[in-house]
Amino acid sequence: MAQKDPEYLKKAISVDVHAGKATFTIFPGLCKGCGLCREKCPEQALDWSQKLGVYGTPTVSPNPELCKACRICEQVCPDCAITISRQEKEKEEK
Amino acid sequence: METKEILPKMPKSWNPASKPHKFCPGCGHGLVLKALGQVIDELNIQDRVVFGCDIGCSLLSWDFFNVDTVQTHHGRTTPVMVGIKRANPELITIAYMGDGGGYAIGSQHLVNAANRNDIITAILVNNTVYAMTGGQMAPTTMPDQKTETTPYGRDIKETGYPMLGPEMVAAIAHEGAYVARGSIAKFRQLKTFIKKAIENQMAGRGFSFVEALSTCPTNWRTNAEKTWDFVENIMPQYFPIGEYKVPGGKEE
Repeated sequence: MAQKDPEYLKKAISVDVHAGKATFTIFPGLCKGCGLCREKCPEQALDWSQKLGVYGTPTVSPNPELCKACRICEQVCPDCAITISRQEKEKEEK
Repeated sequence: METKEILPKMPKSWNPASKPHKFCPGCGHGLVLKALGQVIDELNIQDRVVFGCDIGCSLLSWDFFNVDTVQTHHGRTTPVMVGIKRANPELITIAYMGDGGGYAIGSQHLVNAANRNDIITAILVNNTVYAMTGGQMAPTTMPDQKTETTPYGRDIKETGYPMLGPEMVAAIAHEGAYVARGSIAKFRQLKTFIKKAIENQMAGRGFSFVEALSTCPTNWRTNAEKTWDFVENIMPQYFPIGEYKVPGGKEE
């Protein structure tokens, strides 16, 4: 890509969840701390994080033991600040 | 570094350089535009889309997509899109507006475009307030809802009834029109409605109109829990979700 990478890509935080079967990645440069994902989480696995987002509000971090990588938070985030990648599926696709 | 390979799952048609976008935390515009972006990707029409945004919060989407975008006068998005479509029928024109632009100052254009059965897609985001100017009462404010200008709740005897847009458009629209109301609380359903609306335009059948129930935590003064409660439970009581007009008869 000739274009300069946007600023928000630089400080992504990844956490292995669901017994290492998936990775939860939050982009604090995109997260505005609205908390919609936290309310929608069926496992109540998301909690406020010490890391601050784009407006200086707390971002979220998952509890690796509770998170089942169901991707609801990824779907309801209006800013696409959460990416969940499942290791198993990606191997199958290759 | 493993983290560098993981990218935000933005639709391909989004403009990554303009992110994070300009909407407030928790704003429903991001979700409606995410659904629209995914539909544009799935139909592979990024090079044919002309996106028109209105004045109001919806104008903050002027650099949202990597598609041709025009930002018009207040309420005039519908006729501008009609003009582009008539001049260049192979383009796919999407008029994107809020409830102020579509139901207050622009309702004449919405009514006439629906009556003429113009082959465009209109997406209207309904959050029950004039959000950009500070949360005043809008045509869609629900009875007894508190806003900046109705601090004791909207009195329907004094200010009339809220506007039911899809019902009105479905009543005057002709055969071939597609009219639906979705909600950001039902993201997949909303995406299906938007997809059907754009496919209806691509098939050249007629006017396509989708209203999306959306959130405004800033002006509702709600936290995340109450925001979801309002859009999921309270708004559909007055604004029922579903398809109002489908070409070739109503599907249930």
